[in-house]
Amino acid sequence: SLSTSAASESDADELQKEQQARSVLRENFLRCLLSAASKNVQFNMYEKVKMEAKFGACDIDVLNFQVSDLHTPIGVQKEALIRSQDVISFTFEI
Amino acid sequence: MEGGWPLLGPLQWVRYVKKQVKVKVGRNEEVRGWLFTVDPVSASMVLVDFMESEGTLVQVVMGHAVEEVQVLKEPDRKIADRLQSMFLPPRTSILDP
Amino acid sequence: VSRRSTAAPPCERPGERRVAEMKKLYGKDAAKILAMEAAMQLTFDRNCDLKQPKYWPVIPLKL
Repeated sequence: SLSTSAASESDADELQKEQQARSVLRENFLRCLLSAASKNVQFNMYEKVKMEAKFGACDIDVLNFQVSDLHTPIGVQKEALIRSQDVISFTFEI
Repeated sequence: MEGGWPLLGPLQWVRYVKKQVKVKVGRNEEVRGWLFTVDPVSASMVLVDFMESEGTLVQVVMGHAVEEVQVLKEPDRKIADRLQSMFLPPRTSILDP
Repeated sequence: VSRRSTAAPPCERPGERRVAEMKKLYGKDAAKILAMEAAMQLTFDRNCDLKQPKYWPVIPLKL
């Protein structure tokens, strides 16, 4: 019928809009992470822990950050992985 | 917006993009900045702060830590343009119309 | 002659499911996002192989 085909058309339209929005958001996020590589990053962690490190890379599910020269509260760890669930936010300059 | 930030989805998140927002994170902490993007996978927010003299400060707030998001300001033309060209490879930002 | 013992459809190749999922999420931009993600994951994996980073803290701060 006319009404159902119109409805499915607007559903398809809506889906396409959502896909487009998701693509732009994701692409921009990935670009931002790529730009963090080799930069000094400040990590603001849970339990009031703050640490500085040189950013390496991140996995695509944003579960782990690979960093170097991590200044932990108890010394420097040359190579480290930080769990994103431990992180509140991180900051860098471009 | 109070609670449920990670559940909003792309069509809701884009409504906050390019606006200056105040984000409540963790316990009683607050960050502000222009929202550049939201990662649709982790709901993490990328906030930028254009500093007076030197570079640009980028703050990534993990989606799981976001408690509340409040819009403070709409961007003017200059801010919108700066946000648009952030993180682009140099050649693209010059050649794109 | 090999006999398939699993219930998996015979022609599904590895990665195909992921491509289909990406297509659903990102529509016509799926290939571009997939390529960007692949590059990023490759860098992450290569760095981890090369540098053998250890988790810090050893026990998650937030359980």
